[in-house]
Amino acid sequence: MHSKTFPGTVESIDSIRHYIADIAQSAGLDKKASYNLKLAVDEIATNIVLYGYEEPGLEGNIDVLHEQTDEALTVVFEDTSAPFDPLARELPDEEDLAKPLEERKIGGLGIFLTVKGVDDFSYERVEGKNRNIFKMLLAT
Amino acid sequence: MSFAIKSNVKDAADGGKVATINLEGELDSLSARLFQKEIEKVAMESPKDLVLDMEKLSFMASAGLRVLIFSKQKIGSALNIYLVKPQQPIVDTLEHTGLLHSVSVVDKYPG
Repeated sequence: MHSKTFPGTVESIDSIRHYIADIAQSAGLDKKASYNLKLAVDEIATNIVLYGYEEPGLEGNIDVLHEQTDEALTVVFEDTSAPFDPLARELPDEEDLAKPLEERKIGGLGIFLTVKGVDDFSYERVEGKNRNIFKMLLAT
Repeated sequence: MSFAIKSNVKDAADGGKVATINLEGELDSLSARLFQKEIEKVAMESPKDLVLDMEKLSFMASAGLRVLIFSKQKIGSALNIYLVKPQQPIVDTLEHTGLLHSVSVVDKYPG
């Protein structure tokens, strides 16, 4: 796997997004899939920086790993903040999404868009690290 | 980072006020803070219509959606939100999150 390390700061979110956009382009993802992957990584990187590192006052990195096979492009984020499984949180359901704006709760949309935008999203905690895994299938 | 925002508030022909905000570049969690400040600024004039020119906005994360929700909650449920020429991926995001039915997507502000 290729790997690149970004400091876990708000300034990195933009850089990670552009780094992933380049990877998506070289992997041959179409425009829509590239955008969806970019959106997914932006949401997760934002959560790691704001809630994993900034809020508790911790310093740390986000290691961005990626691997491409004939079938798929896989991107993995590794960070050393407290264990946080994005999928453990309740996502908005159909009923929530049908509510008018003025009655909307403000949270949960980012992870919803992440899960919806990639072909597979998973989380694991390995050796003191959060691993957020994004998988995009490639047209064969 | 590439994000630019500017706003103005004008009197509408039929009374009331129209706030127009131009958004350019990428709207992520960082730039959404600027967007929210701009909404707070125009909210003081209690506009009836909020026009968001999105033709040059190439990316919008959930933080941007939260500001849309915030604007309706801040200014009031009678506020009409017009999105002028949003790019397709942004329309898709609004659709997936059920926000599309709370805004009007237009080529030009009809007022």
